[in-house]
Amino acid sequence: MTICDEVQSQLSLLVDGQQPERAAQALVRSHLETCASCRGALQDLERLRRAAASLGPMTPPDHVWLEVAGQIRLSPSPAPAETAPRRESPRRAALAQWIGLAAALVIVTLGYYAIQRVSGGETTGGNVQPAGTVEAVAEELNQATEHYEKAVAELEALAKSDATALDPAIAATLKQNIQTIDVAIAESRTALSKNPGSEPARASLFEALRRKVGVLQATVTLMNEMRKGNQAGAAEAAAAFGKKS
Amino acid sequence: MSPSNVQNVSGGHPDLVLADRCRRDEPGAFEELYRLYSPRLFGVAYRLVGSQEAEDLLQEIFLAAHRKLSQYKGESSLGTWLFRLATNQCLDYLRSKRARLALLTDTFEHDPNAHGSAAGAIVGVVDRMDLERALALLPPGARAVFVLHDVEGCEHREVADHLGISDGTSKSQLHKARMRLRSLLAAARTAERP
Repeated sequence: MTICDEVQSQLSLLVDGQQPERAAQALVRSHLETCASCRGALQDLERLRRAAASLGPMTPPDHVWLEVAGQIRLSPSPAPAETAPRRESPRRAALAQWIGLAAALVIVTLGYYAIQRVSGGETTGGNVQPAGTVEAVAEELNQATEHYEKAVAELEALAKSDATALDPAIAATLKQNIQTIDVAIAESRTALSKNPGSEPARASLFEALRRKVGVLQATVTLMNEMRKGNQAGAAEAAAAFGKKS
Repeated sequence: MSPSNVQNVSGGHPDLVLADRCRRDEPGAFEELYRLYSPRLFGVAYRLVGSQEAEDLLQEIFLAAHRKLSQYKGESSLGTWLFRLATNQCLDYLRSKRARLALLTDTFEHDPNAHGSAAGAIVGVVDRMDLERALALLPPGARAVFVLHDVEGCEHREVADHLGISDGTSKSQLHKARMRLRSLLAAARTAERP
């Protein structure tokens, strides 16, 4: 071990405002006065320490809360509920049941398509897939999304007349998420139309599609809040599928 | 909850009040807790386990918090309680996914860059994005020590307690992590230069 190695092994203590080991204190002090390299290392570690301390919190994507909220509502309350369970209107239950099952099917189908396309891209050793295939998947997703939004609108209309609404704040967040993702999808499509063989554009499109599936999955979970009984199992299965994808 | 605690709650330490509102399923209470603490916990998860798994782990952290809130009695701040819950979840994940943390930290023993003398200077201010990228390249065990100590401000005793290692190991891993980061950042700077 060189003197520089020996001195540098003590530098973290100095950075943390502590003294080097007693036996090394004199050596460290005198060496730092004469060795520019070790002084540089000390300054780097001090900069690194300051930079690390400035790495602050990170805002998670909104869909994480939607999924947490959905899961909590599906799970038994940690404290016994103090109010009587809400009674569900038969009409709403029937509609919600249909939507939940349809949504689960859409997600499973889209997830399957996305996985097939992505894994196909990875296993062909860089061969570019026809742009039409990607576009077709995106188009399918668009159509499914339209159905979804229509279903959500119907549910919200029902909820308004039923006092137990889909939480407006969550619905707004959901909408905002979808809009943001739609922008990413549109941008990826534009890039793909200009350069159909672009690997980054295709990867970006798939990433956006994956995120959209995630948000739709959260929608399913939230819709489950509005229905009771066995139908919850279908949406839970869809959520589980989404996690795997 | 005992009657004495209820009295405390009504008297009002904000953490106890919020925890109590969550336990009673008051509308919006758990979302308030999530909005308050998720940024810090997401940062911890992101840096400990990486961007791919951080979102899933954050979900698990808050679901666990929801289940275990009845155990929170106000001995520490709610933030500290959640931080411990979060780090435990992340470390459990690392242990389960990548064998043993201790084994992973051993990879530094054979890494000459971790000891520093061969590393170049960083030069100038450390860019946060560069640091985040370099952090992701550290072995998980050393990354955990660095994140807990230098980013989150834990003492070595606390880091050691979290990770189940000695104070001395925490110190030596931290130094190696810093030297490795210095080397990675210097390399990134060199690569950027025309």
